[in-house]
Amino acid sequence: MKNRRTAVLLSLALLIGSAPMMWSQAAKKPEAKAPARVTTGAIPSSWQKVPIPPLPAWKPEQPTRFVLKNGMVIYLMEDHELPLVSGVAYIRGGATAEPANKVGMMSIYSQVWRTGGTKDMTGDQMDEFLEARAAKIETDAGNESTSIGFDCLKGDFNDVFKMFVDLMQNPDFRQDKIDLAKSYMNTAISRRNDSSGQIVSREAGFLAYGKNNPYVREMEYSTVAAVTRQDLVNWHKDHVFPNDIMLGISGDFDTKQMEAKLEEAFGGWAKGPEITQPEVEFHPAKPGIYVVNKADVNQSEIRMVELGIKRSNPDWFAVQVFNEVFGGGFSSRLFNDLRTKQGLAYSVGGGIGSSMDHPGITQLGIGTKSESTIPAIKGLWAEIGDLKTNPPTEAELKRAKDTILNGFIFNYNTPDKVLREKMTLERYGYPADFLEKFQSHVEKVTTADLERVALKYLHKDQLAVLVVGKAADWEKQLAELGPVTNLDITIPVPGEGAKAEAAPKASNPEGKALMAKFVQFLGGEANVQAVKAMHEVSKQTVETPQGQMTVNVDETIVLPDKMMAKIGTPMGEMTRVVTPDVAYMAMGGQSRDLPASMKEQALEQIARHYVSIAQHVNDSSLEFVANGTAKVGDKDAAVVDVYLNGKKVTWYLDPTTGALLREQQNVVGQTGPAEVTTDLSDWKTVNGVNFAMKGVTMQNGKQAASTETQTVEVNPQVDPKVFTKPQ
Amino acid sequence: MRRLRAYLPLLLLLCLGLQAFGQDLASFEKRVTVKKLANGLTIVLCRRTESPTFSFFTIVDAGSAQDPKGETGIAHMMEHMAFKGTYDIGTTNYPAEKIALAKVETAYATYRNERLKVIGRDEAKVAAAKKAWEEARTAADKYAVKNAYGKIVEEEGGVGMNASTSYDSTQYFYSMPINRFQLWAYLESDRMMHPVMREFYKERDVVTEERRMRVDSSPMGRALEQFTSVAFDSNPYHRPTVGYPGDLRYFSATQALQFFDKYYVPSNMVIAVVGDLDPATALPIMEKYFGRIPGKPKPDEYSTPELPQNSEREVLLKEPMQPIYIEGYHRPDYLDPDDAVYTVIADLMSDGRTSRLYRSLVEKKKIAAYAAGFSGFPGSKYANMFAFYGVPLPGHTDQEIADAIHEEIDKVKTQDVSDAELKMIKTRERASLIRSLDSNAGLAQNLAVMELRYGNWQELFNQLNAIDKVTKADIRRVANKVFVSTNRTVGYIENSNAATKGAK
Repeated sequence: MKNRRTAVLLSLALLIGSAPMMWSQAAKKPEAKAPARVTTGAIPSSWQKVPIPPLPAWKPEQPTRFVLKNGMVIYLMEDHELPLVSGVAYIRGGATAEPANKVGMMSIYSQVWRTGGTKDMTGDQMDEFLEARAAKIETDAGNESTSIGFDCLKGDFNDVFKMFVDLMQNPDFRQDKIDLAKSYMNTAISRRNDSSGQIVSREAGFLAYGKNNPYVREMEYSTVAAVTRQDLVNWHKDHVFPNDIMLGISGDFDTKQMEAKLEEAFGGWAKGPEITQPEVEFHPAKPGIYVVNKADVNQSEIRMVELGIKRSNPDWFAVQVFNEVFGGGFSSRLFNDLRTKQGLAYSVGGGIGSSMDHPGITQLGIGTKSESTIPAIKGLWAEIGDLKTNPPTEAELKRAKDTILNGFIFNYNTPDKVLREKMTLERYGYPADFLEKFQSHVEKVTTADLERVALKYLHKDQLAVLVVGKAADWEKQLAELGPVTNLDITIPVPGEGAKAEAAPKASNPEGKALMAKFVQFLGGEANVQAVKAMHEVSKQTVETPQGQMTVNVDETIVLPDKMMAKIGTPMGEMTRVVTPDVAYMAMGGQSRDLPASMKEQALEQIARHYVSIAQHVNDSSLEFVANGTAKVGDKDAAVVDVYLNGKKVTWYLDPTTGALLREQQNVVGQTGPAEVTTDLSDWKTVNGVNFAMKGVTMQNGKQAASTETQTVEVNPQVDPKVFTKPQ
Repeated sequence: MRRLRAYLPLLLLLCLGLQAFGQDLASFEKRVTVKKLANGLTIVLCRRTESPTFSFFTIVDAGSAQDPKGETGIAHMMEHMAFKGTYDIGTTNYPAEKIALAKVETAYATYRNERLKVIGRDEAKVAAAKKAWEEARTAADKYAVKNAYGKIVEEEGGVGMNASTSYDSTQYFYSMPINRFQLWAYLESDRMMHPVMREFYKERDVVTEERRMRVDSSPMGRALEQFTSVAFDSNPYHRPTVGYPGDLRYFSATQALQFFDKYYVPSNMVIAVVGDLDPATALPIMEKYFGRIPGKPKPDEYSTPELPQNSEREVLLKEPMQPIYIEGYHRPDYLDPDDAVYTVIADLMSDGRTSRLYRSLVEKKKIAAYAAGFSGFPGSKYANMFAFYGVPLPGHTDQEIADAIHEEIDKVKTQDVSDAELKMIKTRERASLIRSLDSNAGLAQNLAVMELRYGNWQELFNQLNAIDKVTKADIRRVANKVFVSTNRTVGYIENSNAATKGAK
């Protein structure tokens, strides 16, 4: 629970439970009882004989609702048990309204609204203020609304509430926190294919609603990168108005006094426009079988999905009872047949899905060992078929209703639950007495209703079947069940995706011509071809989290594929040698081999050196594709995509002089993509060849390093021994 | 309330810290009653009249640490079996079923003996024995009423029904409307005294699926299993709670029942109930139902102590997932006098956006999406670990995370924390306690765990006292003692697909 010490004592790290992940609540038939043995006279002979007195009549406290003149709706719920006060404000408009090319914008907004602080106080200062009081103010974004909430000890209410109001009205969205939020999101993107569970729920959502549907669409590196501070500022400016806000506060306070405080805090706030929710389209996938291959697992995650219903549907009550019978808890058909009887799964469940204001996802799911993938799919199908041949019985109906109605009190047994439910109903336009009427609606449901809703909303032949697992174990047998579509879940990397696919593109004449111009600029073919080796001494400045670091670099490159660099570091000189045969770094008399990936990178760097490329403009292994113009600084540069062994570097050339102004590359680090550009300038002629004496490297638009070259030597004397590894 | 005198200093303390709370705590204490039955069972009852409902938490002082050799996973298996019914519930004819289940055990023993023969294994005999066993199971299954126990709880309005097994203990819990209190007492006491190993081998398959889901098919699950097996040597945390796959194919219902008979005894359990319960009527009901469980002494508490570690250990895992860094340092069990110091260090390092690791790795160095340190991995009853972990941002490595964590640890070792930090931590711990008192279910869990682990539910509040006494010097002393490289196990999870991008 919330107490950390208890949690630790329960060693949450490896808690494992026996009930499965149950997706809804659900019931089957206990048969006639054998007489039980009685141990003492006073104990009933069986559980049915234990007396159950009537539940005392009880009505929960109701919140006070009132509306300020400017339209802000307020709910107040006193709860004096603990000296705490908490509240949350919902504001109309959420992620379904964010632009398709900026998916993730609302997620960034929801973080930076809080972390970016207010006009008067940075987010970090707020952290210190709040955490010293064990208080919280947090912001969030949902599909149809955003929210801001607080939670504090009663004694701190005035201070915390003041800050809450300030953050609601005057957030600052500081850029450093936007960058931080974006880096989280890129991490999340890079990790989204790590587990089967995450893959299956995401892809099932795509199949049910369509990949571009706002309720399920995924952010990408490119959509996150597209979000700007102005987007967040504009969203806030356009949405946060009192008439679009519903505020609920519960805890240890006096309602009358609280009303006065709220009137004072919000009464003078002017109305704004009414926010309307966007129209959302649903495009379910074609029925059929869909597969994601994940070779490192021995269990298949299976989902079957189709479009569900809205909670406002008059069948909703019958559907709740049906779900109990079919796919919910210990009593359900799915649990009994597939888990208990057949031992096929730990996790199994399903039902007709519903949502407050849009169709839910009807979903059946099971996780089973690779070998039983096909029986599990057939097992789920058989359960759907069985609903026709063996429709829900009166006994099943009764048990499902008992489950729902006897446990009904837990929908409103705390003041907080009552408050949240009232607010939710009003936010989505449902009558305030929905909960009160729920019981009588459920009582009216008949077995005929159950049969009817099963037929109406659950269709074996309209389900999209998704299997995530080790395809090699079952793909042959799966194909016998019907045509299979393989889903590609590769994470798109900006700049690579679309263009890299067209990579085998051949050189175009404009590209060749521009390269000829560049060779001319560099010193002409004869001078360029005469370069066998280069020795450069430079000063490099690198940006690190600790600040700038400057190192002296003495580098020798022997074309086409050898390099040695001596790097002066604060700890002493480090030598780095890379050739096709050896790759190591040495320092203080000790040496260590470089990992293969670093070696490969260094060799690529030599091959991508502009002198090396100029020497190979006529090689068939290189392609040069002119690709329009672009601004570099204030110059209109000609763009050439240079493909070297299928990898692309983009060059920006001065169209008049042929000078190389910028190199640009998309690199994929261990986990995420980065756009790296280097701007070259201060060209100086050595032995008839031009060398850039200055380079500034930017990574994702931020300066990462700069190089100032002091001397360049062409074809220096190089002792071949320097390229062998010291013993 | 005989204990009341001992609470007074504590009350004073809380009154000073949180004026408004003193009153409430006093009333809270009046609402709690502890009763030890003649058979050794401890009951903690707390009256909370918010709604006509109640929650309970049954904790058994046996977890996977008690799994016998060759039977890893059996404590967890027993937890699953606790939902399979009793003599009364889940059967059409218990006397006949009992005979049929005994035949299943005899057949399984024969089959297992044939299967395990190293020399002279006869496949035909194995197959025949297997067939006989399967037939015996089919015969016994005829009497089983599937999931009857869980169904009764659900139909009678029980919600949140579940159970869990950890290294240290096994626990059962749900909530019900108050008019079912006596029914609950019947059901809960019945399963704690009349367990039936029906459908045992089918359930063993279910548990094996659970292992596939949590461990074999989860890169993170596989990694943690490897990490704990290297980090711990002789103590029970070396082995997985869910069990080794081989043991899950080996152990029998007879062995599970032996486990039950040894550990599911009243003196080894605490039951806490919280809700609209008057002790004057509720306690006699509990006494009537739970008092009938035969008393037995608490089982032998010996557990092999962990060998002292004398050199750094390392686990390097290549998995098709993005990198994660973990490291752990051995610390003594939860009864160590410095326990509160570890709590304070965990809070200092990890709680909130002002925590040391967040400020350094996430905000300043911008190398991690998340980083934290916590005590009690993977359990706390026995000598365990203070663990740290970090999730690197794209383009950053486990090594950078390790270096940055060590930098923060060094600061704790060499520089005193500030007064403001220490005060913040103490305030936060108090508030977190208050917040944990806000639900029947949460309270039942807190009370049961504290009563079991300290023999005194008041420890829930006493620990605040211990935390308040923690000094700057304590923090440095403990950090210097524990956070040393020879006491460390490091785990690097690296991406086996690093060359390609994204998992496929």
